[in-house]
Amino acid sequence: MNRSWLEKNTFHYSEFNDLNRLVEEKQRKNLKISLCLPTLNEEKTIAKEILIMKSELMTRYPLLDELVVIDSGSTDKTRKIARAYGADVYEATEILPDLEQFKGKGENLWKALYVTKGDIIVYLDADIKNIHHRFAYALIGPLILFDNIKYVKAFYDRPIAIGKSKIRPTGGGRVTELVVRPLFSLFFPELTQILQPLSGEYAGFREIFEEIPFPIGYGVETSMILDIYDKWGLDVIAQVDLDRRIHRNQDTRALGKMAFVILMTFINRKRRLGLIDLKEDLFNEMIQYNLVKNEYKPDIFQIEGHERPPIVEIPAYREKFKKSL
Amino acid sequence: MDSYLDNLPVFVDTIKSIKETIITNIVLIGQVPSPTFKEKRRTSIFMERLAEFNVDECTTDGYRNPIGIIKGTSKTKPPIFVVAHLDTIWGTDIDHYYTIKENSITGAGIMDNSIGVGVLVSLPEIFRKLNLSFESDIVLAGVIQSLGKGNLRGIRHLLKTWATPIRGAVCIESNELGRLNYYADGMTRCEIDCNISTINGWEHKFKPNAILVLNEVINQILKLRLPQKPRSRVIIGKMSGGFKHGMIANDARLGFEIQSNSDKMVKSIFNNIKDIVEGISHEYEVELKLKTLSNIHAARIKFNHPLVKSTVDVMKKLGLTPASEPCESELSIFLSRKIPAVTLGITRGENYQQTNAMVEIEPMFKGIAQIIGVIMAIDSGVCDE
Repeated sequence: MNRSWLEKNTFHYSEFNDLNRLVEEKQRKNLKISLCLPTLNEEKTIAKEILIMKSELMTRYPLLDELVVIDSGSTDKTRKIARAYGADVYEATEILPDLEQFKGKGENLWKALYVTKGDIIVYLDADIKNIHHRFAYALIGPLILFDNIKYVKAFYDRPIAIGKSKIRPTGGGRVTELVVRPLFSLFFPELTQILQPLSGEYAGFREIFEEIPFPIGYGVETSMILDIYDKWGLDVIAQVDLDRRIHRNQDTRALGKMAFVILMTFINRKRRLGLIDLKEDLFNEMIQYNLVKNEYKPDIFQIEGHERPPIVEIPAYREKFKKSL
Repeated sequence: MDSYLDNLPVFVDTIKSIKETIITNIVLIGQVPSPTFKEKRRTSIFMERLAEFNVDECTTDGYRNPIGIIKGTSKTKPPIFVVAHLDTIWGTDIDHYYTIKENSITGAGIMDNSIGVGVLVSLPEIFRKLNLSFESDIVLAGVIQSLGKGNLRGIRHLLKTWATPIRGAVCIESNELGRLNYYADGMTRCEIDCNISTINGWEHKFKPNAILVLNEVINQILKLRLPQKPRSRVIIGKMSGGFKHGMIANDARLGFEIQSNSDKMVKSIFNNIKDIVEGISHEYEVELKLKTLSNIHAARIKFNHPLVKSTVDVMKKLGLTPASEPCESELSIFLSRKIPAVTLGITRGENYQQTNAMVEIEPMFKGIAQIIGVIMAIDSGVCDE
């Protein structure tokens, strides 16, 4: 196993805080960079992300060329607020409307490839309470400064906001430590060097993203790593320490569903890559139980496990970006 | 004077055009907890942001007040100070992350004083955008240890050690847009601690209750006859004590302020309260300790001072109605050093000093234009007489 990757391809955000240098290098390489925020009911945090990124990485340092919000049908004011602060806002259903419609984060990320113009796409979750422009520039830095790196993933020390106003000093990453890391250790030990494979912040070249399939739900981060690793190897991947990320806590039941989807994605990938053989298909229902009036009642969460193909296989995309298969 | 007054309404739109940068500064600085005596992290961010905006000098004084200096064109004119206090009443365990909506920012400390500090740090960029330069150096100071037991130590030290004369000053507070403070009352901030010995002895056949003892102190303070002239009052502001519902309280603490526009009267009321405390301590056979936390001298400039008149003109030009009250803040330290100064508010809001404090974004741009107008007035010489 190649253990040197961790040392060679792990960075700290402070290594990229010379924004003038990043802008110069971006211009020298004639690159365009798009920032995409996938949203679903993020009215509390979306404005802050847009404002800070626009101020610091568009107005003051022209590192980003566009800021796009792809929304999954929020029922709060997410889209209205995002528009008010100057983001290009799309409902996922408006993009490639002739295709069958799905709802999920992966769907938004995939469709962002169609509406953005950048050679580099930066994806940030829209629920980051302590958003700072380092979340974007530190992911862009390795892509611009190192020719071999094509995909960059964030990791953090992640406290979780609990209760109304208190902060707990450490925690987070339960699904990573209880599900993903054991799986990687069993099947792809090299990938355990990626410290937070489920982090929702990553950036990469369009040429990478357009060549890989996107599960529409939670499994998108896991599948992305497995596919990039399989197609291009570990050396095109880098990870950056972004210090701290404050986000909403999720209860164990929600994390259980997330773990279910990730396991499903992982096993399907393994099977597709010919690495394992299952005698029968997996079930697609996560069953949790509630005690209702002294009776245990199942709460069934059904996952269809839909997946978008590499977007380069979509004719409308190839036409728009002048690509061929 | 009139020429820049006429420009003020246009300034509002230009300032608004960089609202992303101003709000970013408010958020990046305001989200860093900064309880009094623990302002170090916020000080670092303040310095980082000032340095980002290319001020000519960026440093801290001997007391670690962060300062940025924008050099003026004149070598002889004294500097103009613009200050905002960096400390907040909230501890590090409180969530300081702000929520921004279409026209509001919500979160702990936003009204006291994150808007003020964020605007202060944005001034270099705002001056650049408005294409403004000044004869005087502009000293942008975020002062530490201002609130409560901080007793304005930061600003006291800054002014005490500043080597040259100061032309005039503007103190920035987040709220309330329309305030115009140009005088400070004399003030003494005190605490009374009541401790009942937990050892059972002959002296307390019936054990006194610390809360009830302080209640008696309050009753006697309320009986004091306070004059209307000089205008004077005692504000009972804080009380804590006791252990649990069914147990007589052994400890209690009362916090109050004596305020008057006469230092003599503050002293006289303080002596009266001291007598009350000693009397009750004797009669109830309990330990009562009266502590002074901070003192401010009464100081003022007059309403017809050119700085106040110019500030009123600036506010009226922007459609603001000036409202004046005494202000016990950085202002009082400037005034007590005979430096003409005013305190101004930036915007409006609600839930002041609550964790869900909320400010409106839109009025902020007028609030900032008003600060710029007053700095221009000082630079044109209204404080030089």
